[in-house]
Amino acid sequence: MKVLVVEDERILAEGITDHLVKEGFVCEVVHTYAAAAQKIGLYKYDCIIVDINLPDGIGFDLIDALKRARSTAGIIVISARDAVEDKIRSLDLGSDDYLTKPFHLSELNARIRSIMRRRNYGGTNEIIFEEIKVNYATRTVFVNEEEVFLTKKEYDLLMYFIANKEIALTKASVAEHLWGDNVDTADSFDILYSHIKNLRKKLTEKGARDYIQTIYGIGYKFAKK
Amino acid sequence: MKLQTRTTLNYIVVSTFIYVIVAVSFYVAVQYVIYEEVDRRLLVEKGDFEHFVDRSGYWESDSYFVEDKIRVHATSISSPVEFKDTLLLGRYASQFVPFRQISFDKEISGKNYRVSIRKSLIEFNYLLSVITIVMLVVLCAGFSLLYVFQRRTSKRLWQPFYEALAKATDFNVHHGDKLVLPKQKIDEFNDLNAALNKMTEKILSDYQNLREFTENASHEIQTPLAAISTRVEGLIQDPSISAKHIQWIQDIHESAMRLSRLNHALLILTKIDNGQFQDADLVDLNRVVRKHVDEMEELIAFKEINLRVEESESFTARVNHSLADMLVSNLLKNAVKHNLPSGGSIEIAISSTSLRFVNPGAPLTVPPRKLFERFQKQDKSTGSLGLGLAIVKKICEISDLDLDYEYSNGLHSISVTKSSS
Repeated sequence: MKVLVVEDERILAEGITDHLVKEGFVCEVVHTYAAAAQKIGLYKYDCIIVDINLPDGIGFDLIDALKRARSTAGIIVISARDAVEDKIRSLDLGSDDYLTKPFHLSELNARIRSIMRRRNYGGTNEIIFEEIKVNYATRTVFVNEEEVFLTKKEYDLLMYFIANKEIALTKASVAEHLWGDNVDTADSFDILYSHIKNLRKKLTEKGARDYIQTIYGIGYKFAKK
Repeated sequence: MKLQTRTTLNYIVVSTFIYVIVAVSFYVAVQYVIYEEVDRRLLVEKGDFEHFVDRSGYWESDSYFVEDKIRVHATSISSPVEFKDTLLLGRYASQFVPFRQISFDKEISGKNYRVSIRKSLIEFNYLLSVITIVMLVVLCAGFSLLYVFQRRTSKRLWQPFYEALAKATDFNVHHGDKLVLPKQKIDEFNDLNAALNKMTEKILSDYQNLREFTENASHEIQTPLAAISTRVEGLIQDPSISAKHIQWIQDIHESAMRLSRLNHALLILTKIDNGQFQDADLVDLNRVVRKHVDEMEELIAFKEINLRVEESESFTARVNHSLADMLVSNLLKNAVKHNLPSGGSIEIAISSTSLRFVNPGAPLTVPPRKLFERFQKQDKSTGSLGLGLAIVKKICEISDLDLDYEYSNGLHSISVTKSSS
């Protein structure tokens, strides 16, 4: 899966690229509007991550150009501007998602995967992780072909884990994924803990192995070993 | 007081004063002239009388038929010539008539007589009153005309001033429209308009610069914070880092995130101050409350807080949409955060003019009047920024809402009420 990262801040661009490469994406990075416009004209990408404020142009114009070229690429806008008008404008132009800086890389990854799922990338409605199978069209989860009934939050949590498998996730990133901006109370970590406990219990009861690891001081990791 | 009223008042006071002075002096002058004339005639008559007596050597009262105009009586005391005003009973009409009289001594046939010649003033008084009345009427008409003229011209003259004033009053820096005042014929107004044009242009550009600076500064801060966050996330993936260092990295990350939230909240406050949330709509606050209650339901339930929403009426207010969201969300978060550790409750009461959040909790550690100020924290150790209620306060200020706080019987109560004005 090919991703183009358009971001002028080099540290951030590098951080994003490193992370996405680790996640198995083929990543290209450009730092200017001109370079991005050229790349878009030449190659086909599955997903494009665009910063709004570029030194030589504005990201909105890139989205516009993509849409006029009838590109099917998913578009995620990353911006330091948290204004509602900007969000509305970028969604109106046809971008798929909007992330305000600073964001968690795991969140960006989850959003890319979600867009890819919505585009039915790979021609299936299912994600399989070992003995766990998720049908995201029907939002159903199976362990060894036996259905596990999850609450909405537990399902979201599992999807987030699967999207970010083998990655150390901070509690804050998981909590923010589940509750968005309402996360600024320490209590949400406790609720998160209880959700994780329930999810773990429901999965292992059906015979799945316990993939949710707790990393002391950081958070969690969804991994095979 | 209006300029027009003030000038009119001044005009009336001054013109009345002048009017009285002119009237009095005119009256006095005319009277003086009349007396002068009458006295002169009396002197002529005196001469006639003396001439007659000198020639004929006697005097007969009968010789003057018309009026009792000359009175002669014998006296031994000699007095000087004297003019005086007197009232005499008219011969036919039984009323007093004003007369002017000259008295002088005259020797007739070797005897001293006191002679008084009188002249009726009635026709002169009539003349005087007619002249006075005509003069008063003409003067009054003149002043009135002048007044009307003055009023009209001053209205027309000051027109550009009132136009400029109205435009300057309507000027709103948030709308970004320049003040365009036309050139005027009168130099002073022209200068005033030019000064106003220049001033508002400067205000607008300063305001624009400030706005851009604040926003740009805020965005410039977010980007390095995003870089820190990215690197930290990369670092924690490294299994070779010790647990202690992982903790440090986490601390760096948390501080960066806190800085980002702080920056974000301050940006919102500045934006509100700069009036960048001008477009207000009629917002159904009941719906906003319900939405946020739904969003926070899980957290509220988890904290075992008993939530009760009492919607007796619907509360609609003219607020910007995003701000209404912020207002309710901040108040709700506040009520959750500062609740009892166990057995807490929140009561939200909505009436047609007010929205009230009541929750039990420890008494304030900050003075209530400072509660809505920036960086006032109930508990210094929590991750709270101390800006939530400051934002609420700002939103209320620009949306014509009153914000009140009360604490009684262990209950905090914050209410948002429609301003009565």
